[in-house]
Amino acid sequence: MSAVDYTKELPVLEGKHSLRELDDLIAKPLEIKPDKKFYIALSITLSMLGLGIFGLGLTFYYGIGMWGNNNPVGWAFDIINFVFWVGIGHAGTLISAILFLFRQKWRTGIARFAEGMTIFAVMTAALFPLIHVGRPWLAGYLFPYPNQHSIWVHFSSPLLWDVFAVGTYFTVSLIFWYVGLIPDFATMRERTSHKIKKITYSIFSLGWRFSNRHWQHYEMVYLILAGFATPLVLSVHTIVSFDFAVSIMPGWHTTIFPPYFVAGAVFSGFAMVQNVLIVIRKVFNYEQIITIDTLDKMNKIMLVTGSMVGYAYMMEFFIAWYSGVEAERFTFFNRALGPYAWAYWIMVTCNVVSPQLFWFKKIRRTIPVMFVIAVFVNIGMWFERFVIVVTSLSRDFLPSSWAYYKPTLVDGAILIGSFGFFFTWILLFTKALPVVSMAEAKAVVDGAQPSHKDH
Amino acid sequence: MNTPSNSSNKKELWKSLQDYNNDPEAIKFKHNEFLEGVTEDFEPSHLSGISRRKFLALLSASAAFTATACTDYRDKGEVIPYNKRPEEVLPGVANYYASTCSGCEQACGILIKTREGRPIKVDGNPDHPINKGKICAKGQASILNLYDPERLREPMASGKQISWKRADENIIAALNEAQNNGEEIAIVTGAITSPTTKKVLDDFAAKYQNTKIYSHTLINDEQRRNGWLESYGTVEYPSIKFDEANIILALDADFLGNEGSYIENMRKFASKREVVGKADFNRLYVAEGRMSATGMMADYRLKIPPNVQYEFVIALANELIKNGSAVALDANVKSIIEKYSLSMIESAGKEKIAHLVRDLNDNRGKAIVYAGDTLPKEVHIAVNLLNEILGNTALYDYSTSFKSLIKQSTYEEISQLVDSMKNGKVGVLVHFDSNPVYSLPEDFGYAAALKKVKTIASLVEAENESSVLGNFTLPVNHSFESWGDAYARGGIYSLQQPVIAPIFNTRQKEAVLLTWISGDADSYKEDLYHNYLMNNFDAVVYSKKNVLSDAKTFWYSALHDGVVLMDEKAETKKFNLSILSNIKEFRHKSGYVVHLNESFFVGDGKFANNGWLQEMPHPVSKVTWDNYAAISPKLAKQFDVGMNDFIEVSVDGKNLTLPVLVQPGVHDATVNIELGYGRTVAGEIGKGVGFNAVSLMSKGYSFSPFIYEGASIKKNGGTHKLASTQEHHSLDDTFVKDFHRIRKIIQESTVEKYRKEPNFLNEEKEKVKEKLVSITQEHEYTGVKWAMAIDLNKCTSCGACVTSCNVENNIPVVGKDQVERGREMQWMRLDRYYSGTPDDPIVSNQPMLCQHCDNAPCENVCPVNATNHSADGLNQMVYNRCVGTRYCSNNCPYKVRRYNFFNFRDHFADAYYENDLTSLVHNPEVTVRSRGVMEKCTFCVQRIMEARSNATRDGKILNGNDVITACQQTCPTSAITFGDMNDPESPVAKLRNHNLSYHVLEELNVKPNVTYIAKLRNIHSEEIL
Repeated sequence: MSAVDYTKELPVLEGKHSLRELDDLIAKPLEIKPDKKFYIALSITLSMLGLGIFGLGLTFYYGIGMWGNNNPVGWAFDIINFVFWVGIGHAGTLISAILFLFRQKWRTGIARFAEGMTIFAVMTAALFPLIHVGRPWLAGYLFPYPNQHSIWVHFSSPLLWDVFAVGTYFTVSLIFWYVGLIPDFATMRERTSHKIKKITYSIFSLGWRFSNRHWQHYEMVYLILAGFATPLVLSVHTIVSFDFAVSIMPGWHTTIFPPYFVAGAVFSGFAMVQNVLIVIRKVFNYEQIITIDTLDKMNKIMLVTGSMVGYAYMMEFFIAWYSGVEAERFTFFNRALGPYAWAYWIMVTCNVVSPQLFWFKKIRRTIPVMFVIAVFVNIGMWFERFVIVVTSLSRDFLPSSWAYYKPTLVDGAILIGSFGFFFTWILLFTKALPVVSMAEAKAVVDGAQPSHKDH
Repeated sequence: MNTPSNSSNKKELWKSLQDYNNDPEAIKFKHNEFLEGVTEDFEPSHLSGISRRKFLALLSASAAFTATACTDYRDKGEVIPYNKRPEEVLPGVANYYASTCSGCEQACGILIKTREGRPIKVDGNPDHPINKGKICAKGQASILNLYDPERLREPMASGKQISWKRADENIIAALNEAQNNGEEIAIVTGAITSPTTKKVLDDFAAKYQNTKIYSHTLINDEQRRNGWLESYGTVEYPSIKFDEANIILALDADFLGNEGSYIENMRKFASKREVVGKADFNRLYVAEGRMSATGMMADYRLKIPPNVQYEFVIALANELIKNGSAVALDANVKSIIEKYSLSMIESAGKEKIAHLVRDLNDNRGKAIVYAGDTLPKEVHIAVNLLNEILGNTALYDYSTSFKSLIKQSTYEEISQLVDSMKNGKVGVLVHFDSNPVYSLPEDFGYAAALKKVKTIASLVEAENESSVLGNFTLPVNHSFESWGDAYARGGIYSLQQPVIAPIFNTRQKEAVLLTWISGDADSYKEDLYHNYLMNNFDAVVYSKKNVLSDAKTFWYSALHDGVVLMDEKAETKKFNLSILSNIKEFRHKSGYVVHLNESFFVGDGKFANNGWLQEMPHPVSKVTWDNYAAISPKLAKQFDVGMNDFIEVSVDGKNLTLPVLVQPGVHDATVNIELGYGRTVAGEIGKGVGFNAVSLMSKGYSFSPFIYEGASIKKNGGTHKLASTQEHHSLDDTFVKDFHRIRKIIQESTVEKYRKEPNFLNEEKEKVKEKLVSITQEHEYTGVKWAMAIDLNKCTSCGACVTSCNVENNIPVVGKDQVERGREMQWMRLDRYYSGTPDDPIVSNQPMLCQHCDNAPCENVCPVNATNHSADGLNQMVYNRCVGTRYCSNNCPYKVRRYNFFNFRDHFADAYYENDLTSLVHNPEVTVRSRGVMEKCTFCVQRIMEARSNATRDGKILNGNDVITACQQTCPTSAITFGDMNDPESPVAKLRNHNLSYHVLEELNVKPNVTYIAKLRNIHSEEIL
């Protein structure tokens, strides 16, 4: 790799593509019949989903007792998975909204896909608050609706804030995603000769005719929505962190939680996007759209957020010691040295140590290595939530009520099922919609924008 | 209008010209209503045989079927209003009947609460002089046995149902045959506390003269009685005035746990632990090898194995006679005593022994030495001597001595019985509500000998190990369905009355014998024993009481009160000094000692099929659903075993493999095992729970039936998980050591410090209070505000409160697997904390329940408002609003909320307790919670509401003292006080302001409404170690 000229912006796409070529490349997966590999992948994810549905069936039939939750540890995999998936859902909107506002062109190749992942991850996450309740058939009580008893929800409960925060985030993300898709729907409409496809694309393209007016309105709406979505990126995980921070449990009741959760969410979200995109670019031959340079940048973000998370871990310990609150101190000692020390050290190794390898440019640009590191990051971030939820609860104020938590097979089945659910959507997404924004990609090919370099 | 003339047969009304002309075509047409081509499809023969009516009937029937099948309406049986209401039953209002508890031999007085004719709760009878309104966990939970689905419902002969008449005829024939053949008729009974039952047995023996009556119970006080017999010439020993003792030395005696009249003992003991007033405390020394509930309460605890107790007592006597003796000791006795010296037990703690000697010396006549039932009679004799020397006999209460109606059979007598059985000399054998196959040591060969007996009739409530080996199994009434009486204590005659008609085809066991005595199977009447009892009452009680009322009135008033006080002469007995010479040199053998004790909650195995009792955490170890070998940490290390590992314990060639519980404070040479477990025939619940330690017992014991020297221990591969409700931390784990002190969960000090600085707690409390700032305006409680105070000085951790709560509040049994997972449902728990060293731990107990915090952290996190605060300060749960997020439980710093992880009634043991019978035990005032719902202590809100409506009815203002919670009602030591904290005169308000009061986790500013009174230890120091 030759020395990079930092005075110049790196090209977003590699190679010289004609606009037509780009359209062909991006639309290709939608225009050919799914191959065997697709069906194999789909059968795997559906099997995982089936396993999860089986676990859920057992849970609905017998009760939460099918899980490992016990008396001090009222929440475990249910809430861990919820926070984990909401976290995964963070990268998409960050990439598409915040990076858009900051004019980061390199987001072009990955934004659409990341947004899709956001939607699916939030859908996966939203399952958990519903299934974690003991009487899911009454989960409607969590929504404020007028009823003959005049019973209102309890607005001071962070769990209720979650309902609103996640609901809003999902809605805005979905609209943002859809608006971005409109020009591509129109492109697809023009390309296809299949009757049903044509009708479908026509409906969803909302009469888009690539007119200048359309583009003007589109750009404005997209900008406004990006502005809308930006605070949500920060608010969702802030509010999720309130589930813990608003409580009085040592280890939960800390003011560092909102920024720490947001950083962690971006961290894990990027790791998941990077993992999936590495596969996608290989399978769909998008190496020149989702370039090594893009991956390199994502890895840098992981390095930053990973370091932030590591700093938060240290800060938690420092504040626990500095506060002088005995219970708080013990909780943190207990995390590192107690019965769940194994989980804590998995977390530290995966989240703090492994991303530090991204200081090396070579590692940032070597696909197998970065893939493995990102997998580690996701494992680590899952364990971060495990450490927060389980270790704090299992040893709280009164030693008499302490108990060790052990998950059951049903817990595992539901965790696997959540991955199955997520990846099933991802797979269907790759075959139903262009995974890279054609319109935006075309806007960043060499020469698409006015340039001053040769003058 | 003229009709056409040419057509007289023509119609007046016509449809067409053809019709008018009577065209044949038209006539044909009219006859066939349906045209051709229309009818051919409707040809009835081509249609199915279903008529229109039938079709409609089927349609409606199937619609009805579908509608019924799809509805979740459950047939709840017929609900019929009273046609003619029984005078005493008012629907919705409970009736209370005085009776006598038959859970053990103490025969406490009870009040049985019934609602619409079904018993739902047992409380102590306040008029009973022994238990004074209190009742233990076993007594509380015994109500579940009444509704045990596995109770026998019909008489059985060799596994087949039989009528009572046939059974009686067969047995009467067998009795007569045995009588004629000169064969023995043996009745094996448990302990008999009823004088009328004894009379029935005597009548039986008079009718069938070959009858011999044997009495045997697994757990008994025979060693004490024999010691007393040899010391004083009678087996009836006096009770102890623990309330007058300044110094108590308990020798392996769990008198505050499960031994003797423990409810009475606890009350008397706690009366000298009163902090309101001048804190005039008694001092409790416990010398024991195990760790008993009494040991947990000890001010000074000396670790002395049971086989060294004799030497310890005599050595104490040797030390104490230096300062004189209240009885004259002859040289012979002195020479025996002088052989023993305290120096040999110095390892138990030189300083502690010095304190003990000084205290005993200083409190002559005001102290008591009390030995446990499991210790051999020699120890009891030695203790009797020591009490004589110290003049402690002043604390003997002969007026309420422990009666013995039928003496326990000795092992020799039982051996003779077994020999006769083996030789075919026993014609008929009756198990009179007893279970000798389980309770007798195996080396008697009783089970094998049963095969040689022709007729075996077992009068039992449920099948047991003995009844399954017999040919007739005759179901008897539960004690709540029975008449009876008891004379367990001198001067106290109590009555037992049925509170429900026999649920099944069962009979009173005495009535069965009376039928056999009559020799005529038809002579049985329902009131057979009732009349017999009344007649005997007239003869034994009425005739002796000089009352003006007639016999009938007196009977009814006695029945109402449940107890009649008799004038019994208290006769002081003289100690027989010469007996000491009969005891040969009594020295312990070195090596390991096995000490067998009664199970805390399942008793001698009688309550094995009672889920509530099986699930009660052991007061010390907090283990449920099991027994184990409790060994010291040092011994465990030596054998390289840990918690749950199997060890094999062997004594005299008998082996038992059972799991280890590493118990701090146990003597290193002892292995302590509880009896009453390992039942093989005890119903679904009790079968195979724990390990049968009777298999270690031997008829030829050399020390005591319960204590075996020279045991060997072997590590045996494998583990057996003990389900404990509290984690077992190693005591020397510095990581979590003394948390209850560091976090001020338990506040303790000593009496000496309290006398010097009564306000030592207050300064700290003030400091904490200054720091606590609420950022919102606090709610003001102007009316009644409920609060509870728990005095840690009095709590012995006996668990009566927990069981009472279980029964009152319909708490389900969850089973061992769920306890292991930490999902027990008891609303109250008794927390146990150790401090000090594993060798010599200091134990602190604390009842923990919902603290009903003013700033309850559970309330603000519930998304659906299912838990909220009442105007009178209760933290309430709205079950039908709860969706079960468990957030409230997570945010509860006391972790006192309980979650229905399953529908536990359905989940436990294949829905063992979910049936029409067992559901009768439920308190109709308390919702039965289903799966997915959070629950917790309600401060017995149903009782508060009852008191409130009573006050409204009577036009009074609700007085907080009128509400008594279930736990408070049953607490034997009255450690729990409940009431209105806004009423400055109420006991609870006074305790809240007591200078020893504190709140757990006060610094969280959750403002709990349960106040704890700090525990004072009566030691010779201002500091607890």
